[in-house]
Amino acid sequence: MQAGDVLNLKEGAGFMCKLLRVGSASTVWKMLLMFLFSGVTFGATGLGAMLLMILLSSTHLGKDASAKHGISVSESSRLGGLAIAIVVIIYIAGLSAISPYTPGLMRNDDFLYLWGAVFFCCSLGFAEDIKPDFLTPTLRLMAKFAVFGALFWLAPTFIPKSLGISVIDFLLSVPFLGWALVTVFAVGFINALNMADGANGLVPGIALASFAVFFAEYGRPMDGALLFACSIFFFFNVISGWYFLGDTGSYGLGAVLLGYGLLGVVDGHFSAGFMAALFCYPCTDFLVSITRRWRAGRSPFSADNGHLHNRLHQFIKVRVKSGVMANSLTGLVVSGSTSGVVLCAYLADVLPSDSELWYLLFAVQVLLYLTTLRYLTSIQPKTQYADPA
Amino acid sequence: MRIILLFIIAMGLIWVGVLESGASSVNDFKHHASGKTLDKQSSIRRFLSVGFVGDLVVKKIISDGRRTIILKGNENFLAPGEVSTDHVDN
Repeated sequence: MQAGDVLNLKEGAGFMCKLLRVGSASTVWKMLLMFLFSGVTFGATGLGAMLLMILLSSTHLGKDASAKHGISVSESSRLGGLAIAIVVIIYIAGLSAISPYTPGLMRNDDFLYLWGAVFFCCSLGFAEDIKPDFLTPTLRLMAKFAVFGALFWLAPTFIPKSLGISVIDFLLSVPFLGWALVTVFAVGFINALNMADGANGLVPGIALASFAVFFAEYGRPMDGALLFACSIFFFFNVISGWYFLGDTGSYGLGAVLLGYGLLGVVDGHFSAGFMAALFCYPCTDFLVSITRRWRAGRSPFSADNGHLHNRLHQFIKVRVKSGVMANSLTGLVVSGSTSGVVLCAYLADVLPSDSELWYLLFAVQVLLYLTTLRYLTSIQPKTQYADPA
Repeated sequence: MRIILLFIIAMGLIWVGVLESGASSVNDFKHHASGKTLDKQSSIRRFLSVGFVGDLVVKKIISDGRRTIILKGNENFLAPGEVSTDHVDN
């Protein structure tokens, strides 16, 4: 790079500083990097989506104080889910209006009910993002049970008939019991994804890998729009660390992933083992966390710092100078080694997506999770991670 | 005022990709029967509008849309050179 090029970049950075009213040069460099990634991957549309997310993140609405969210060390916005929703709605509405040859959202009644449930989950999360503790945890939980109970009651096609495990298959075949089990699983899954959203690029990375799989398999416009919006958010979240999914994002994306996953298993395109491997981290971390809290005599849903990503972050942050980089590296390692591996294996066609052998990969992931957690717990001071009383 | 201007720019840029995706879908459907593919100029324009990954996404959406509509039987492709009766009547 020549001296003139560097000067031009600096001038460009200065212009961006003035335009977006940001003072720090490092902030501008981060922005340039975010625009570069979004521009190369998604062109003018990517630049527009990134600009929209930057604008939304700079509003005072939904701001989190430093260190309030997971392992974050900077002031951030919780409106990432809202930004993803806006980008997806613009894209899908526009595409459906312009091209009559694009299959719309409502392919059948089941999708209508699913999007209704997603909308409800997003609204529930949005209320929480705008006004924390607007609803009590119990009320939120009951609301989730109600919405998923209604979804599976109205659309029983979401309830899988066979997961490849005879005991569970028998229980699912009993109509009322099957409905109750899937409803409990759905609420647990949404909470698991919300609980795992504690590091930059962790849940966005899992969502990105999942939508890439669903889009490669089905090619639905909605999957493409979600892949696009999640990619832009992923770049933003990982590079800057200013923006989180919030409850809108984790509940909304959780509901979409749950619906797509269940339909994928029901129609036989994916095995339950594949889905278990794809969503291994949030599900395993959720089960391990509630077990840990229950053993400590605490509420299973009370917050603590005992998650694997918290411990991994402690391990990484003493080795990496930048706080944001340590945070992002933690999220990338976790999402990359779980959902990222499944995405690569799927794209490389290592196994058919409907193979039960994916359970083996899931078992390896769980083993890796437990071994890493045990190792990190053993080398880190116990008091530092003691659950709050 | 500045925020509104930036917001309009952001929306405009997003719409560039939406328009390109929609137009590509319509063009593909119209030219499908004659076996034509989108020309290079169109591909470069699409690359600038929706980027490297977006180009793959749009191609997949178009091919899925075409397949879905064919499966539903809502649309019949014209054979090359064939003129629809509606067009003749008009």
